[in-house]
Amino acid sequence: MPREAEISINEREFIKQALQEQIRLDGRAFDVFRSLELTFGEEYGVADVQLGKTRVIARISVDVVTPAPERKFDGIFQIVTEFSPMASPAFEIGRPTDAEVILSRILEKAIRRSNALDTESLCIIAGQKCFALRADVHIIDHDGGLIDASCIAVIAALQHFRRPDVQVEGEKAIILSVREREPIPLSILHQPLCVTFSYFEEGEIYLVDANVAEEQVRQGQVIITMNKHGEICQIAKYGGATVNPLALLNCTNIALEKVKQMSKFIQQKLDEDNKKRNPKGLMNELSAENARENAVIPG
Amino acid sequence: MPLDTSTYSLALLRLDGRRWNELRRIHAQISTQAAADGSSYLEMGNTKILCSVTGPHEGRSGGVRGGSGGVAKLEVEINSAAFSGTDRRRNARGDKRTSEMEHCLREAFGGVIVAHLYPHSTITINLNIISQDGSLLAASINAATLALIDAGIPMTDYLVACTAASSASTSAADNASADDPLLDLNTLEEQELPFLTVGCLGESDKVAVCVMETRVRMERLEGMLAVGIEGCKRMRGILDEVVKGYGKRFG
Repeated sequence: MPREAEISINEREFIKQALQEQIRLDGRAFDVFRSLELTFGEEYGVADVQLGKTRVIARISVDVVTPAPERKFDGIFQIVTEFSPMASPAFEIGRPTDAEVILSRILEKAIRRSNALDTESLCIIAGQKCFALRADVHIIDHDGGLIDASCIAVIAALQHFRRPDVQVEGEKAIILSVREREPIPLSILHQPLCVTFSYFEEGEIYLVDANVAEEQVRQGQVIITMNKHGEICQIAKYGGATVNPLALLNCTNIALEKVKQMSKFIQQKLDEDNKKRNPKGLMNELSAENARENAVIPG
Repeated sequence: MPLDTSTYSLALLRLDGRRWNELRRIHAQISTQAAADGSSYLEMGNTKILCSVTGPHEGRSGGVRGGSGGVAKLEVEINSAAFSGTDRRRNARGDKRTSEMEHCLREAFGGVIVAHLYPHSTITINLNIISQDGSLLAASINAATLALIDAGIPMTDYLVACTAASSASTSAADNASADDPLLDLNTLEEQELPFLTVGCLGESDKVAVCVMETRVRMERLEGMLAVGIEGCKRMRGILDEVVKGYGKRFG
């Protein structure tokens, strides 16, 4: 099994010493994210996130299945993560590493368990048919901050996705294609986003959004998931060096500020994408006053 | 909410008759298995865990024996009995929840054990969950601490953990009067209330483990943490008694 190239002792000491002098190797302040890029694909529900050199693509797809017998009124939503060897030679297909298990558990807790997506709205006919939503997360390039980037990708993709409309007549449901009926957005209740804090020097120094070199030097991490309304969806600190509880509370305040910024950024990108897709806007199209451009008047 | 919060706010007693800051009955033993280098049996209410520690010994795997970089490698295996929960489950091993717990224990004890004393060796912690009734991660940490002490593996301090919840639901954010944080939850309370597991290093306030899986207002975190840390201190006292009581037999 190939292992991740370990950072040399010199480099390790260099990073630590620089941090003590309040300097990060890439010149960022301690509480600043790397440059965040978000692009959407041609199709609905494809989000490509670039956080510095880290790149993650999330894709939402939908299928119609029979719901689980114990959850008749709920649709199905699952998040599938895959680390491909393309991102880092340390990743192997079919053998989940600790990092992969933790990533998928955190996404599961952050997005699924916190009820970010209203699964009841995915039900078509109770006990018989429902939509099964699947979010595939692909790690394309790995330079640290995978959890933060993946969470942004999934949330952005969910907000971007449109599912086909259905027409229910008694026991029969007809899935209307995109051409027949405008597809409808998912009902998303809140937007949880993750912020990972890495700490050094026995919890004295906190870094937001560490890159892969800083991740290898750090003594521990705290992953905080919040939404912009100030609710904590999940906290995960699995051991590592100890921290002061007050510092932990301080982290939640920083996380809230970051999450607010990121939510705003995602919304802005979604609006831009929406404008690109409907250049004149829906209201314009629906308006009776304006003549439709391509309208062919029969007869 | 099935947990009747109205009765709680009237009598200030929980479903099992405890007050908000009371731990459940804790019964702990060490040196329960002769074959292991260290072992313990811990009951926190109806959560029952058997733990054994083997090592420091030569690693099992052929290639990399023991840890790299001059420190001992820590292996954690969690096994939960099919009859431990309310519904009978086969093959809990290999599911992500269990591997997350294993990861958590590995990370947490990695920071507490003085691992550099045992280069090229492996320490294996084996946990058998016999009965589950809430605070599973906390009980696992406590049981593992006792077993490690029994095995004579040097640690900087006891790593103790317990759970704490906020009794006000997220919907009732405004009535701040009846929202005592609760200590040491059982399954029913865990299902109903937002809760966190907090692990501390001995008597200090230093938080080594903090895991929360449910959604809660950020203002409530402070109270929950404070009660959790207070519970950890009490837990340390209890575990310390157990270890010292065992030592007296030889004294």
